[in-house]
Amino acid sequence: MNTILSRANTIFAFTLSVMAALTFCCFLTTAMNDHLSPIKIDVNKIIVKNVQDFSTTREKNDLGFITFDLQADLQHLFNWNMKQLFLYLTAEYTSPNNKLNQVVLWDKIIRRGENARLDYRSLHSKYYFFDDGKGLRGNQNVTLTLSWNVIPNAGTLPRISGVGSKTFQFPDEYTPGNARI
Amino acid sequence: MEAIKEKLNAIPSHMDYKGQKLAEQIFQIIIVVFAVVGFAWGYVCEQFVQTVYILVAGFILSCLLTLPPWPIYRRHPLPWQKPRDDSKEVSQKESKKSGGKKKEKSK
Repeated sequence: MNTILSRANTIFAFTLSVMAALTFCCFLTTAMNDHLSPIKIDVNKIIVKNVQDFSTTREKNDLGFITFDLQADLQHLFNWNMKQLFLYLTAEYTSPNNKLNQVVLWDKIIRRGENARLDYRSLHSKYYFFDDGKGLRGNQNVTLTLSWNVIPNAGTLPRISGVGSKTFQFPDEYTPGNARI
Repeated sequence: MEAIKEKLNAIPSHMDYKGQKLAEQIFQIIIVVFAVVGFAWGYVCEQFVQTVYILVAGFILSCLLTLPPWPIYRRHPLPWQKPRDDSKEVSQKESKKSGGKKKEKSK
């Protein structure tokens, strides 16, 4: 504390310690949030094709096409310790090959201050709904769920499943050729 | 370079002991108060960045108040002994030296 440099060093170190404590307190204020929210998913058109997945094998695999509606109000999830939400729509089903398949069909990033009241109609999936075999045709129990990652300023990165899901079934027949929805 | 260094060193920057203690208390109080206020304000307007801004403002204020050796930090100078007269000192040293020599010899 006898020279300007040593005083500057002391003040700076003290400020950084206080900032770390504040950040931890900020985390504590939101540590008890459950980040849950009700959502509503509907499925409109469903077809399944049998085509070649060029990225993996030479064999033909099942490829599903769906369009879906999505309604969710996630505005209340945001607080001062949340930078953004990463939403992703997952399809879960059982196939002869695997007990549990999870395929991400669609995702979205909502930053703080952006509109978090989602109301989508007839949305196409962003990513291909490929099965690793022939497990989609006639599958009676495919469940769509919307989940999200919370990206905070400080703290944990919880992975939350939205309350509400939609179960649908694929048709028993392949849609031939290049027909799309 | 040397000349610049000498000039820089010639600027007085020290505080006395009580002044150092006072400076430390002042910047700690300022920064903690700004931190508490900033935390409350950031919580109210739901922007953690406001908390950080207010804390940085407290940092700058405490730098202004306690980095320069303001007169308030130099009110308790140490009571140094007064410099002795040179001629006296020399004669005293000489007498001491001679005395020391005698003692050494006696040992």
